[in-house]
Amino acid sequence: MTEPTSQRMCPSTSLNSAIQSFSPMPYQNNLRKVKQTEDSCPFPIPGLAADFFHMRVKEGSKIRNLLRFATARMQGEGNEIHGRPQRQVVFTGSDRGVTKTITCVEILKRKVEGLHQVSKLYYKTVNEVWKGSLHSAPGITIQRTVPVICILLSKDPLNPQEPGYQPPRSTSAPTDSTWICKTSLRPPQCPTLAKRLYLEK
Amino acid sequence: MTEIRNPGMSSATLGQSSDSGHCAVDIDPVEYTLRKRLPRKLPKRRNDVYVNMKTDFRAQLARCQKLLDGGGHREICVHGLGLAINRAINIALQLQASSQGALQLAANTSTVELVDDLEPEDPDEAAEPMTRTRNNSAIHIKVFYPDP
Repeated sequence: MTEPTSQRMCPSTSLNSAIQSFSPMPYQNNLRKVKQTEDSCPFPIPGLAADFFHMRVKEGSKIRNLLRFATARMQGEGNEIHGRPQRQVVFTGSDRGVTKTITCVEILKRKVEGLHQVSKLYYKTVNEVWKGSLHSAPGITIQRTVPVICILLSKDPLNPQEPGYQPPRSTSAPTDSTWICKTSLRPPQCPTLAKRLYLEK
Repeated sequence: MTEIRNPGMSSATLGQSSDSGHCAVDIDPVEYTLRKRLPRKLPKRRNDVYVNMKTDFRAQLARCQKLLDGGGHREICVHGLGLAINRAINIALQLQASSQGALQLAANTSTVELVDDLEPEDPDEAAEPMTRTRNNSAIHIKVFYPDP
């Protein structure tokens, strides 16, 4: 799987980092990632209110768990532990968690109506420490630039001129996606597209 | 009933994950062949670029760069569906990096409905072909020169 984000041990140009596949060297030596640190910078989103809660979506996060928590905070919990419902939430995801972040945002927009959205994309650098068995040589540190997506969902209106702004979807209008499938474009008899499955009732 | 799926998940696991929380006691013995339908034919302006995982990354990046430099477009729109979201984001960020900050990005997200056809494997089984709808995420990134 070619993931265009990784780079080797020395910080290379960003184009190389976007093209190279995941560094095979640590896997070949049976190294595993011990630590990951990143230079934290504030969210590049203007108009953040004082109270918002941050959902960090990673590659292994379960969407159901994330959304159960997020919808509870946005719609107001019954037991009043956190007080009144929140008005703003920021989802961030990096590297392989970006797609899952977008999926979480889309599902949340379906559950909670009338949310304004601002999305931002940027690169950030992370430092990963890879080590073999614990008593072996000290681990290697890899510096990597990974893409990050940062999405703000807010019940309050945001600036529509902001790049990356999306208004809340009105319930009557169809989805703005350009890929709505209505026709049956059936591919020819191609074994590579067909997969077998047992249908579970 | 549409269910939200992990984008990029292979359809081979379609049968295993059910939309109900509890595990299914009885498994339908009928074996189906899954066929993914292609998304609908895309409306495409001159400055629309749809990113996929089959074409080389560099080639798609060069195509976008050519549209911005030679094509005379002030903005292009990079689209990515499912697993190609990562690649679309990388292309857009690379374009911005190579322009020395002259370009700006605006990202929009959306949900796309995809339909799968389920055909029974055994023609004697008398099970009718079914269709299953699932949702996938998509991103649309506008890469543009801001107005002075």
